[in-house]
This record gives sequence, C-alpha cells and structure tokens, in this order.
Amino acid sequence: MKKLMLVCIVTTLILGTNAWSAQPSGRLQLQGSTTVGPIGDAFAEAFMKMYPGVSITVSKTGSGDGAASLVDGRCDIAMMSRFMKPKEYKQAVEGNNGFLPVAHVIAMDGVCVIVHPSNPIKELTSEQVRNIYTGKLKNWSDLGGPDSTIVPISRDTSSGTYETFEKLVMNKQKMAGNVEYVNSNPQAHARVKFTKGAVGYVGLGFVDNKVKALKIDGVMPNQVTISSGKYPVSRPLFLFTKNYPKLGSLVHEFCTFYLKEKGQEIIESKGFVPVTNY
Amino acid sequence: MTLLSTNNPVPKAKAAEFTRPLLLTPSEDWKGYLSNAAGRIFLFMVTFLSVIAVLLIFIFIIREATEFLTGNNLKEFFTSVGWYPTHDPPEFGILAIMAGTGYVTIVALIIAVPLGILAAVYLSDIAPFKLRQVVKPIIEILAAIPSVAYGFFAVLVFSPWLEVNLDFIKGTNALNAGIILALMALPTIISVAEDSLSAVGREIREAAYGLGSTRAETLIKVVIPEAHSGIIAAVILGMMRAIGETMVVLMAAGMSSQIPSPWWDLADGVRPMTATIAQEMGETPKGSLHYQALFAIGFFLLVFTFGLNMLSEHFLARVRKRKRG
Amino acid sequence: MRLLIRQLWDKFFTGSAVVSILLMVLALVLILGPMLVRGGSAVFFRGTVEFRKMQLALYNRGDVDEITTESAEVEKSRQVIFDTLNHFRRGIETEHLIKRARKFYRDYGDQLRQQNTPSEQYTLLRSQAKKIRNKLCDAYESENKNQVLENLDFVIQQQDNSDFKGTLLEELFVLAQKYKKVVQSIDLTRREQYAQSLNEVQEILRQLFGPLPGEPTPSLALFQYGATRWDLAQKYLHRLLWKEEWIQIAPDKPLVRRELERKTLFAGTELESIFDEVQNNLPVMLQPHPTFYWQYFIDDHPPGYYFGGVGPEIIGTLLITLISMLVAIPLGIISAAYLIECAGENIIVRVIRTCINTLAGVPSIVFGLFGLAFFVLYVLPRFHMASKECILTASLTLALLVLPVIIRASEEAIRSVPRTYKEASLALGAGRFRTFVTVTLPAAAPGILTGIILSVSRAAGETAPILFTGAVAFAEVPRSLLQQTPALSIGSYVIATSDNVGMNLPHKQYGMVMTLIVLILCLNIFAIWIRSRTSKKLHGY
Repeated sequence: MKKLMLVCIVTTLILGTNAWSAQPSGRLQLQGSTTVGPIGDAFAEAFMKMYPGVSITVSKTGSGDGAASLVDGRCDIAMMSRFMKPKEYKQAVEGNNGFLPVAHVIAMDGVCVIVHPSNPIKELTSEQVRNIYTGKLKNWSDLGGPDSTIVPISRDTSSGTYETFEKLVMNKQKMAGNVEYVNSNPQAHARVKFTKGAVGYVGLGFVDNKVKALKIDGVMPNQVTISSGKYPVSRPLFLFTKNYPKLGSLVHEFCTFYLKEKGQEIIESKGFVPVTNY
Repeated sequence: MTLLSTNNPVPKAKAAEFTRPLLLTPSEDWKGYLSNAAGRIFLFMVTFLSVIAVLLIFIFIIREATEFLTGNNLKEFFTSVGWYPTHDPPEFGILAIMAGTGYVTIVALIIAVPLGILAAVYLSDIAPFKLRQVVKPIIEILAAIPSVAYGFFAVLVFSPWLEVNLDFIKGTNALNAGIILALMALPTIISVAEDSLSAVGREIREAAYGLGSTRAETLIKVVIPEAHSGIIAAVILGMMRAIGETMVVLMAAGMSSQIPSPWWDLADGVRPMTATIAQEMGETPKGSLHYQALFAIGFFLLVFTFGLNMLSEHFLARVRKRKRG
Repeated sequence: MRLLIRQLWDKFFTGSAVVSILLMVLALVLILGPMLVRGGSAVFFRGTVEFRKMQLALYNRGDVDEITTESAEVEKSRQVIFDTLNHFRRGIETEHLIKRARKFYRDYGDQLRQQNTPSEQYTLLRSQAKKIRNKLCDAYESENKNQVLENLDFVIQQQDNSDFKGTLLEELFVLAQKYKKVVQSIDLTRREQYAQSLNEVQEILRQLFGPLPGEPTPSLALFQYGATRWDLAQKYLHRLLWKEEWIQIAPDKPLVRRELERKTLFAGTELESIFDEVQNNLPVMLQPHPTFYWQYFIDDHPPGYYFGGVGPEIIGTLLITLISMLVAIPLGIISAAYLIECAGENIIVRVIRTCINTLAGVPSIVFGLFGLAFFVLYVLPRFHMASKECILTASLTLALLVLPVIIRASEEAIRSVPRTYKEASLALGAGRFRTFVTVTLPAAAPGILTGIILSVSRAAGETAPILFTGAVAFAEVPRSLLQQTPALSIGSYVIATSDNVGMNLPHKQYGMVMTLIVLILCLNIFAIWIRSRTSKKLHGY
C-alpha cells in the first residue's frame, strides 16, 4: 500500500515536471571543464531566457571527461580548457561515427597561482613554482616568507588546468607525493582560502578577494597581460563540437554567442578575458 | 455404530471432501507434485541469483583488470610508491595508496575498538532495561547517517576547526578521516560485540559473581574472554567497514598519494584505495591502461574484503555454535 | 587494601563504559547539529524584499500588488543613497563614461549601416567619429586639467559640423558638455585614489540592492536581484562598512588581518554620509520578514543555481531508490522464503549463505565498478542500446547492494514468527505455500517492512555505486529511464567540494545535506517505531 502511494506520488511528480517546461524546441548537453563551467552556466541561462523553449544542461566534470563524452556522443558541446590530445582527436576521427572536432575559442584565461591572503609573498618565478610542486622547496621561509610548511594543491590529472600547468610550468616533471589533488577549481580555491600555508592554481575567473594571486616572472595576471600573452601561463578556453555546426542550428547559435556583445559582457562578468576588445 | 442408525442418516458429504485420502503419493497426484517441485526449483533459482551475482562481480572485475595484471607491471604495482597514471610514461605503484588505507583504518580501529567494546559491555551488562531501549535507537541512527553526510561534516566543519583551533597545517588528513571512520565503524562493532556478549550465558556470570568478583573483574576476566570470537568478528567487521568506505576518505583524507613522512605524522594527507578509484574513474577513457589499473585496485580490494569476510564468518560461526549449545 | 583497589577499578570500568556511550551521543549531536541547523536556514530565514521580487519574477509566487507597493517604498528610501552616489560619481567614474562613449560610437556605426550610406562616405564619417571618440576618451582618462579642457573644446567644436546633426553622435557632444561642467569644479589629481574605492563600494551596493538605477538589466539572474536573505545582507553590510586589509607587522611573519573603516577613505567628500545612512536604515531599505520557504523541496534550480531548491535531487533520489527496491524486494523475500522453508543443510545452501554474506561485505565502490563494467559496458550493448550511464544501471547496481540487507531482515522476520502460527495453519489443512503466503508472511510483514525501510534509507544515502553509473550533479529531472539523473547524495558531495556557488552561499550547501539527513532520519525513525510496536505484539516487550 505504501509502495503504491509512493509510486503514485513519484509518477505525478514526474508528470508534473513535464508540465512545467514547455515543449522543448531543442535540447543541448554540455559537458567538460570546471574552468569553462561558469561561462557555460551563464551562457545557458542567458540562452534559455532568449529562447524559452530550449533546455540546456551543463555538466562540469573535467576537460578529459568532456572530450571522452563528445567522442562517445553523450554530449553536444564539450567545454575544454585545453586543446584535444592527439589520442582523443584520433578516437574522434576514427570512432564509430567519425567526425572532425572543431574548436571555438570563446575566451582567454590565465592560470593564476594563488596563496592565502596572510602570506606576505607577492611574486614567484616559474622555477620557484616548479620547485614547490616537485617537492624541492618545502617551507615558505625558503622563499622569503614566514616559517611554515608549504601545502601544494593541484588539480586532478584529467583537468585541462592541470595540463596547462604541467606543460607551461612543470616542464613535464613529476609532482611530489605530498601534493594534494582536488577535483575542481572551486575546491582548489576553497582549500587555499582556508589553509594558511597553501598554494594552488586556478583560472582567472576564480580569483577573488579571499585569495591572493601572485605575480609570475614579474607579471601580474589580469585581462591586459593575459590577452597580450605577457603572462606566461595564459591559455584559450574552447568549446568543441562535432564538425562545424550547421549554420542557424541551436549548437551554432550557442557557439557563436560569445561573438555578440552580450556574450562578451557575460564572459567579462565572470572574470575571464573576452576575446575581442569590444 | 448403533447410534448411526438408518433412522438418522448421515448428511451427504460435500464434493471433494473425504472422497480421497489426505496424503497422496507422487504418482497419484503428479500435478501437485510437479507444481510443488517447480515452485521449489523456482525459489532455488531466485536464491541462487545471489551466488551468480557474486560470481559475476568477480568475473567482470577480473576481466577488466586482466590485461594490466598479466602484464609485467605487477611487481611495480605492489612495490612502487609513485602513482602517476597520466604521466609519460605512466607509473602505477599502489604502495602509498595501500598505506593510505592502512593509516586511516588503523586510526579508526584504535579509536573504535576500545570505545565499541566498552559500549557493548555497557549495553549488555550495565545498562538498565529502559536505558537500553533508548540507547539502541541512537546507535542505529548513528549507523544510518549516510557517508556523504559524515564526509560533509569532515570537510566543512571538522577540517576548518582543526586548522583554526589546533593549528594543524592541513585540516584534511589521516587523523580527520580516521576519526570519522571510527564513528562509522562503531555501530557495527557495538552490535556484533553486544550480540556475542549476550550469548555468553548467565551461568558463567553468576558463577563469577558467586565467587566474589566485582563487575569489572567478571567482565574483563571472564565474560570478554569467553566471548572473544564474537569480539574478534566484530573488530573484523568494523575493519571491513572502514576499508570499504569511500566518500568520507574522498573528501577528508587529503588526497596526496604518499606515505606520510615521518611515518607517525597523522596530520599529513593520505590517499586510500577507495578514494583513488572514486576520484579518477569518472574521467579515464574506457579500456585504457589507467582504467585497467583502477580495476586492478578494485580487484585487490574485493579479494581483501572477501578474505576478511570469510575470517569473520569463521568467528561468527563459533558464536552461533555457543548460542545453540 | 586490595579490596579498595578492586572496587576503584570496578567504578572506573563502569564509568568508562558510561563515558563511551556519552561520547557517542555527543558525537551524534555534534555532527547532526550544525548541519541540520545551518541547513534549516535554507528553509527558515528572514527574506528581504529582493527575495519576494525574485520569487514573483521567476516562479510567479506572491501577491503582485503587495510586492509592487513594497518595491516602490523601498526605492524611495534608497533614493537618497543613489543620488549622493551619482553626484559623486560624475566627477570620478570616467570608465563608465568611456564605455558609454564607445557604445555611442558603435551605435552610430550601426545607424550608418542601417541608413545604407555609400561605403566611401561611411568610412569617412566613421573615421571622423572615431577621432572624436578618442579625443573624448583621452579627456576622460587624463588628469591634467588643461589637456582635458583642450580635448573637450575640440569635441564641442565638432558639434557645428553638419554631417553629425541629428545622428547618435550628438550624444557624445552632450557628454562632453556635461563633463566640462563637472571638471571645472573638482580636483582631478585625487581621482585615481577615489576611483578604486568607489568601484568597490558600488560593487557591494549592487550586491545589496541589485543593479543601480540607470544601469541596464543584467542578463544573468544572479546579478538582477540584491541580497535576498537578511543574513547575507548583514554580511554585505559589514563588507561595506569595513575594508579588509592584510598588514605586515613583522618581517618573516604572516600578514595579519585588519579591518579599516571605509568611511575614512572618503573623508571630506559627500560620499561619507552614505555609510551611516545605509547602516541605520538597512531594515527599511530591505524590509526583511521571516520566511518559510517550504518550496525549497520542490523548486527546480535555475541555471546559475543561486536561487531555487533541491526538487530535482529529491525526485532523482526517489526514482533511483524506487526502481532498485522494485528489483530487490521480490528477489529478497523469495530468497529468504527459500532459505527458511525449503532449504536443507547441504553444501549448496552453505555456499548460498556465504555468497549472501560476501555480497553484504563488498565495498560500495566495487559495486560501482561492477555496475560500470557489467551493466553499462556489457548488458546495454547486448540490448542494442548505447553504452550510456543511466538511471537503469544505477538502480540495478543499488539493488545488488541492498539485496543482502533485505534477505537478512526478511529471514529474521520470518524466523521470529512463532512456530505455532505455522503449525496451526498446517493442521487446518492448508498447504505449505498457502500457509506461507496467508499466515507467515503477514505475521512477518512488520519485520520485513522494517527491513525494507532500512534498505531504502541505505540506498538513498549511498553515493559511491551511483557515482559513475548514472548520477550527475545539477542536471534537470530526467524524462526517461535511459538518462542520467541528479540525486541528493551525489549533489551533496559535489556541492560540498566543487561548487562555486555553494562556497559563497553556505545555506545552499547545508540545505542539500540537511534534506538528505532529514529524509533518512524520518525513514529510520519510522522503522524503529514499527519495530517497537510489533516487538510488543510478538514478544511482549
């Protein structure tokens, strides 16, 4: 009896939610990087307001996962904060429904090294950052700071931010054993916010007044230095689609939204660097 | 017989009543026999499903892990400390990861076993009846709280508290995860231990009291040793719970694949096996070496917990034997 | 003497046993307390007028008239602040004016295009307009008063040019005139100092009150409303009044946090008064009332996730649990029936019991791995369906996890039915099957029900098996069984660790885990109650 009631309640709820949303005139599934995630969310919101019949889901699981699901056909657009690896590209082209992945650059981003605001250190060189993460430097006093242990925080290995960091800063060296791996940008930000001796790296859009971004090789990460390429750890943010989307289709509209002024405004409001100086 | 005279005839029997004997042989009632047998076979098949499930679990996990296990990476797997699956070339060494599981489990057991046995003793011997009715549900609620909620508490409430009040460098570490795992293993230990303590008959206790021992002496010197197999089973089950727990360690154990240095430094992050699988599984491409390595870790976990399970069954069988005889 | 020691030892032992129980109860309270209380603030809180406006706009809830009158009142009380701000801004905030100038230039270009001007004239006009715009922007940026006046005069002269009469470019001239008036009265050198602080103050005012009047409506819902909760408003107020700074008091030591009264940054200007104004009149400006937001449990979360509730997660959890129960309950009860009624003491039965115990002991993440390897990658392709994680695979994995619990609980329940029931029924002539179905099962029903409820609560709380077999965080309610679904457990995990929004809005984090805990506690308390009732019936205590 109780089960029957439960079944009825659940069925009504499901049918009810079907009634809430109008007949969808299109569904989009986005999956991928947690760095591009906020932009994807914001675009989805603005989009759904402009076209009320559209329903867009954004799933933030990491760049590697985004590429894999684009290849598997589980999503329409993959958000990635790095370019596709040759292996992923090959899988896409030679897979069951082979296609050529097309990259759309929607914003620029810089990987900023952040520390707790109570840390007096203001700048580091890439070499020093590398030594911190490979375990050669263990205490802040080696860098001119207070006497406390360094707690290095890194993104997990499927993350595009991790790849960028590894390529541009680590020079492919292995990270030390005591590096703590977290799964997303907000988590890295939270760890650095709470732990006094922590150092981590996040995208520019996640730097706020609760953490302090450091100058790397003398350059402070902000919109100007990133878009001009002066900041050493800059990178473009991508949306990958299967072949170039058909002109006028929902996917095409979404992927060219960043060219409109509204799109650029949204990108800037999320803290990233818009591609054009509109 | 004379009572049943023809003057008062016996009322005619209703159809199918007493027109056939009550017990039929299989050859006479083949339909009933067949349906009975079919029913039993059906029930047996359904019950056998659990055996099939266990077999399938083993088969499929081994299947995905075979390539990795039969390759020449096996020695490195068990002895190397470096877990760098996406490096070029990749390294798959789970020694540090196994040590991580070991650390959190040992911390959990150190806290949970004494507390658990004491609580079980309290419930079986010291508590008045009414109080037992109140405390048992509390323990059940402790057991019912989902692991995500414990993990939530560990990472958002306990970890900052450790950093702020006790000046820990890092709030998410082996100690944090160990304490929370102890709380999760406690209800298991308490219920099994209490069961086995109650199974020790009244005679033994009364004999000890009769000889003049205090309650503590009875319990420590007589009852607990008598119930030792049940208590060992309880500890093993608690250990299984701590080893198999995923979400708490994923959030609160610090996720650094290292053996803390120095080895007694519990305030350093560790990465247990379950957390490694949970963190990396969602993102690995299916079929790759990394994927197989994760399944190999899962297989190792499965075999280890299976072994522990068999061990605890052995001890529990002893308890059951005592209960019956 | 030895007696004393023994008695002390006895007391100590008893005391430590009591202490252990107390520790456990304390731990329970410490764990559940903060989470339930903070989570409760997602449902019971003091909501401001912004909250009511948001509810009206997004969900059509609330009395339109009431809200409109309230909004009007509130705007009136805020107007004082905005006027002071605007007046001060005009001299300082030139970035905003630069943006406007650029926008007018762009719109002028659009206008020319729409009028289909021939391309030569188009380029000529546009380059001239660009020159004017650049001069105006230079005027805004420079701090040298003479240079500023020079640039402005150049722009104003262009007004006489007939090409630009009646076009959008006239706006630029209007701007130039206004700025000239302002510039003649203020000190340009302090401007850089004020601009930075002014920006911060404006940002906080936007967080408190929503977009400032005159600004275009932002496209994201997050920026469209001010502080929707009174506790958030208090936090923003504190940030407005006090500026956080990290100062070095000794070399080689970490910086120390100090708070600086923001008022002192604007000492001597007109902006100083708004700080006291806001502090004293915030209740009037925001109108907080106690709110009971029970719709939290059924609301969808709009993209951006700043507003809304956990409706989809609850539905997802119920779906997954329901389907796994549908599979596991019949299998479990039938297995328990076989084990008690028909099974002998041979080796096959021993193997079956061992396997059931093994299933009970497998770690939950290994179940997840099995679900992935078997259901997703092996079974689905057999049925010619795409190897996608979905509700079906997640529920089947959970069913396997829950099966041993149901079997054990049913076994115990059936075993505890007194033999007299069964023997009486058999004596009356009922067959074994009929006895079981009509007599034993109903008598064991409360116990079986308890087991079912406990396994429902276990299934609802499990995260590891569904982590990569079918659950995602922050998706919409699924429409078919072959889609992925959100769930409370995985939502709690993601919002506790990886969600940007959750980090800034703790009530959202704690709200989700509170919902999960409340759901499971209700189920468990229900089960305990049933058990205590039937225990009295069957055993007398």
